[in-house]
Amino acid sequence: MSPAHHQLPRLCFPPQPGQLTPEPQTVSTRERSSLGRSPLSGPEAGTLAMGRPEEAALLQLEEVFSATLARIDSLVLQPLLMLEPTDPQSRECLQLLQQLRKSSQQLWKVTEESLHSLRERLRHPDAIGLESLLLLDGADRVLQVYMEYIESYTSCVVTQAFQKAVKKRSDYWRSRQKALQQQLWGMTSEGSMDTKLAQVLCQPLTRHVQEYVSLLRSLRDTAGEHRPACELVAHATTLFENLQSFMRQALDQAVATQGLWRTLSSRLRDALYTPARRLLQDSQDMPLTVTPLRAERVLLFDDILVLLQGHNVHTFDLKLVWVDSEQNGCVFHLLTPEEEFFFGSKYRQDQVVWQWKITQAVCQALRGKKDFPLLGAGLESSKPPICRSMAYTFLAEGRLCQATYEGEWYQGRPHGKGTLKWPNGRNHVGTFCQGLEHGFGICLVPQASEDKFDCYKCHWREGSMCGYGICEYGIDEVYKGYFQEGLRHGFGVLESAQQAPQHCKYTGHWERGQRDGYGIQEDSDRGELYIGLWQADQRHGPGVVVTQAGVCYQGTFQEDKMVGPGILLSEDDSLFEGTFTRDLTLVGKGKVTFPNGFTLEGSFGSGAGRGLHAQGVLDTDALPPDPSSTCYRQLGLGIFPVESRWQGVYGPFRDFVHTGCPGDLQEALLGFHVQSSRELRKSQEYLCCESTQLDDSAGRMEDILEELLQHRDPEALQKCLRKALSNSLHPLGKLLQTLMLTFQATYAGIGANKHLQGLAQEEVKQHAQELWAAYRGLLQVALQRKGQALEEEEDTEARDRRVHGLVLPLMLPSFYSELFTLYLLLHEREDSHYSQGITNLSLFPDTNLLEFLDVQKHLWPLKDLTLTTNQRHSLVKDKCFLSAIECLQKVITTMDPREKLEVLERTYREIEATVSRVLGQEHKLPMDDLLPLLIYVVSRAQIQHLGAEIHLIRDMMDPIHTGGLFDFLLTALESCYEHIQKKDMHRSPR
Amino acid sequence: MMAIRELKVCLLGDTGVGKSSIVCRFVQDHFDHNISPTIGASFMTKTVPCGSELHKFLIWDTAGQERFHSLAPMYYRGSAAAVIVYDITKQDSFHTLKKWVKELKEHGPENIVMAIAGNKCDLSDIREVPLKDAKEYAESIGAIVVETSAKNAINIEELFQGISRQIPPLDPHENENNGAIKLGKQTMQASRRCC
Ligand SMILES: Nc1nc2c(ncn2[C@@H]2O[C@H](COP(=O)(O)OP(=O)(O)O)[C@@H](O)[C@H]2O)c(=O)[nH]1
Ligand SMILES: [Mg+2]
Repeated sequence: MSPAHHQLPRLCFPPQPGQLTPEPQTVSTRERSSLGRSPLSGPEAGTLAMGRPEEAALLQLEEVFSATLARIDSLVLQPLLMLEPTDPQSRECLQLLQQLRKSSQQLWKVTEESLHSLRERLRHPDAIGLESLLLLDGADRVLQVYMEYIESYTSCVVTQAFQKAVKKRSDYWRSRQKALQQQLWGMTSEGSMDTKLAQVLCQPLTRHVQEYVSLLRSLRDTAGEHRPACELVAHATTLFENLQSFMRQALDQAVATQGLWRTLSSRLRDALYTPARRLLQDSQDMPLTVTPLRAERVLLFDDILVLLQGHNVHTFDLKLVWVDSEQNGCVFHLLTPEEEFFFGSKYRQDQVVWQWKITQAVCQALRGKKDFPLLGAGLESSKPPICRSMAYTFLAEGRLCQATYEGEWYQGRPHGKGTLKWPNGRNHVGTFCQGLEHGFGICLVPQASEDKFDCYKCHWREGSMCGYGICEYGIDEVYKGYFQEGLRHGFGVLESAQQAPQHCKYTGHWERGQRDGYGIQEDSDRGELYIGLWQADQRHGPGVVVTQAGVCYQGTFQEDKMVGPGILLSEDDSLFEGTFTRDLTLVGKGKVTFPNGFTLEGSFGSGAGRGLHAQGVLDTDALPPDPSSTCYRQLGLGIFPVESRWQGVYGPFRDFVHTGCPGDLQEALLGFHVQSSRELRKSQEYLCCESTQLDDSAGRMEDILEELLQHRDPEALQKCLRKALSNSLHPLGKLLQTLMLTFQATYAGIGANKHLQGLAQEEVKQHAQELWAAYRGLLQVALQRKGQALEEEEDTEARDRRVHGLVLPLMLPSFYSELFTLYLLLHEREDSHYSQGITNLSLFPDTNLLEFLDVQKHLWPLKDLTLTTNQRHSLVKDKCFLSAIECLQKVITTMDPREKLEVLERTYREIEATVSRVLGQEHKLPMDDLLPLLIYVVSRAQIQHLGAEIHLIRDMMDPIHTGGLFDFLLTALESCYEHIQKKDMHRSPR
Repeated sequence: MMAIRELKVCLLGDTGVGKSSIVCRFVQDHFDHNISPTIGASFMTKTVPCGSELHKFLIWDTAGQERFHSLAPMYYRGSAAAVIVYDITKQDSFHTLKKWVKELKEHGPENIVMAIAGNKCDLSDIREVPLKDAKEYAESIGAIVVETSAKNAINIEELFQGISRQIPPLDPHENENNGAIKLGKQTMQASRRCC
């Protein structure tokens, strides 16, 4: 510490000569500086330091009190404790007395401490300030000890502990009566022994506090103001004045309570009695009417409210009592978890008192400690909070009977976060509203068998599941999808466990708990996939069945069975048209088209033996097989309009957008992160928090919308959409994810069937449109929220351009693998012919191949053939048009149809460039020259499954290109592909 | 506002009859296509006004070689019109033309406009196919016919004007109420708006 700093306090408090004690050399800097700041260094402090008469009086007072306490201890408390507890009552009595003695000892200790501080002060009045007195410095602690004593004492009073104790040893006490009277001050001669003892244990205390107050008051009045010590005096004065009030009230309440216990029937007393409980108000003293429950007596205690009605005792925990602040004449409204009633009184004043008292009692109960000094005079708000956090077990019959709710309450109802536990193990953790599950919640329901649970992780609405949810039924089944009124409704996936004996998976629409509408059911056991409509949990309406064995059929279903006319495609691509039996044999009038084009038309029946029995005409003159009739035949086209196929997926998103993307529905729509139910059971609390945590990380709706607004020019939009689509917490990403789910369910596994390619490709394009529409919807909401002008309705053409130019390339990769597989299967045969063709052509040296393909000699890039000494032109392979070949091979490196077409265009440019180089001038190739060259390049590029590629590109190509350059190039490629399949391409090189 | 209609036109006919030359003349008003550096010779476009509309011809060349004949359907599918060319100095080429017409009637798009061009009319002194034969034939199949010379730029414009006239005008209702999107379907006469 610098000397300058050292001097500062001296400047502030210039020492008066003669009054300042000389500083000893040993005093540390810290002590010195604190001394310097001390108020005692002022002139007034000096006067106080001389010692006031009040201080001396206090000293004396404490000495007497200490001695009194010591005497009470040995003469009263100790003998009282000499009690043989024989029954629960006397055991309790003993406990309370022991507690009282403990409190008394504390009191003695604190008195001794106070005494000590007074003595010290009087011994060194100059060195030790007034503020060092325990009564001032530690007033709050002293107060606490007094209050604890009062607490113990009143408990003894309420319980009539003195009476009981004296009764047990009446002879002893009778013998001690005289001695006590002599030795104990304040003991009256009248009354029974126990009342005398009660007095002895209380009177000295009240008197002592009274003395404190008067001494402190005069100390306060003589001392000046604005000095810390004086403030302490003032504070202590108030505290002890308040203590007087507190004691008075405590004693009054104790007496009243004791009186009540005495007069109540033993049945009621047993039901209500606890030593700590105090009566605050009794309707016998201030009448009250209760409706609709007709209680004849109301007792307000400090922890409960009791309504007595005949033999019934209704008790209500004050912590769960809400006093409705709305005034209504002479009645007021009380709300409790299970009941509500009105309190009224003839006199408005009485009603006001009751209401006030109950309100204050509720406040006090919620604070968990007695109001000081008086009920309702607490420092904190005198209005109980409407929202509380509490546990309660419901008793009334009904849904919640015996269930315990622990969590937040509002006006008598579970509201906010909480946990509801039923005695059978059912358990709901989540948010509540008006007493019902509402918002995100996790519910565990025990199954009949012991250790299995159903687990519902879902959004709830007014007590039942609504919105997106995941339900695990033991370990057997899982449902992921939407609910309404507690039932599966809208889109959802129900899947049995993989290891279940009959693995089944339904992906589709639900209506009030039943499969209804478009849905896909996979039955792994039977190796069957049903794609079609459902009603009341049964296959009903148009449907398609694809089997692992390869047989497919399409028809109309009723009550789970195919009825009426239908078609069936056998493994060998024979087509059966007509009516079928249950085991799928054609009966009645029908027609069979064989893969070779022959047809058999006539009447079919199940004959005696096996096989097909028919009477009809076999037409062997039919045209060679029309590819579109059997092996390319597409199922389901036209019977499931693509726009309405996945309404249950698009619908919730559309509704969400139409309602303006309300944040509270975001999670109900998008779902939430999933944890396994095992982990879930371990820590439900954690999960409950997790869901809220997610709200933040998921990106609030505002942020999502803002981002869309910020990225509207084409390039930014593409980036923004790419990001959104890859984020499953983004509405668009979630939509895409759900669509992928439906796509996989339909077209992967058993559904990977060539006859479904048509359904699949139109579905992908529809999805692209819906995603664009969803984006547009979100954008409109974003603009609306900002009060900006809405985007104009797009015309079909502009929309198509965006869908194909922007959305399709972004979303196609998500469906590509399933989709491409379908194309692959559909074009398997051609692809194998093509494959043979290119394998054969690969045997040709370059010049041989150019010649074989009739490429005009002057176009041959012979310059590119660098020869080693003994090599001839005719042996070189894979050198000509290398740049074009390598370019074309890149077609498989992208999934974007537009990029694939661009690859094609570049290939064409490369061919042209090579030719121009050969000719030494710019040359534009007419088709006569281009086609052979292109065949050359295609055969050398050796792209696998080129047929599947070409058809996929064509189907996914932006219609804007139809007839244009891209279309032309694709057609040229396709014609090469076709040409390579031809027989004469399978000739070996000469 | 003028609507642009895209019309896919495919060229059919024997090699050497002058298909490429006709297109080159039409698109570039030039005879020797080998010196035209801007556009490919296999696929060319040209837009011409026609009444209140603009017709954008998307012209697809085909390979004339006999062995590629079977690939032709891929090229003419979805065409609004086909220009079938023969060489008036080669009777054979007129015969081939007839085969094309027959094929188009059987497998070509419905309502395809067929335009017959008897090319190299500048060489009428060595003519083998009389105009009368061509006219009678064209009438019998309901096709347009003109004798052209790509070399001397005779009747080239007229050939395409003739096609334009044969294209049925757009149904205004169809244009307006085209709310449903036709995806994957080849709608060749797609209409585009421009200023
Ligand atoms: N005299 C004459 N020669 C022509 C005419 N049109 C094309 N040719 C020539 O006929 C040959 C073949 O022409 P081309 O356009 O390549 O025929 P394509 O095979 O049908 O495309 C070329 O040598 C041209 O110069 C024409 O109108 N008159
Ligand atoms: Mg040509």
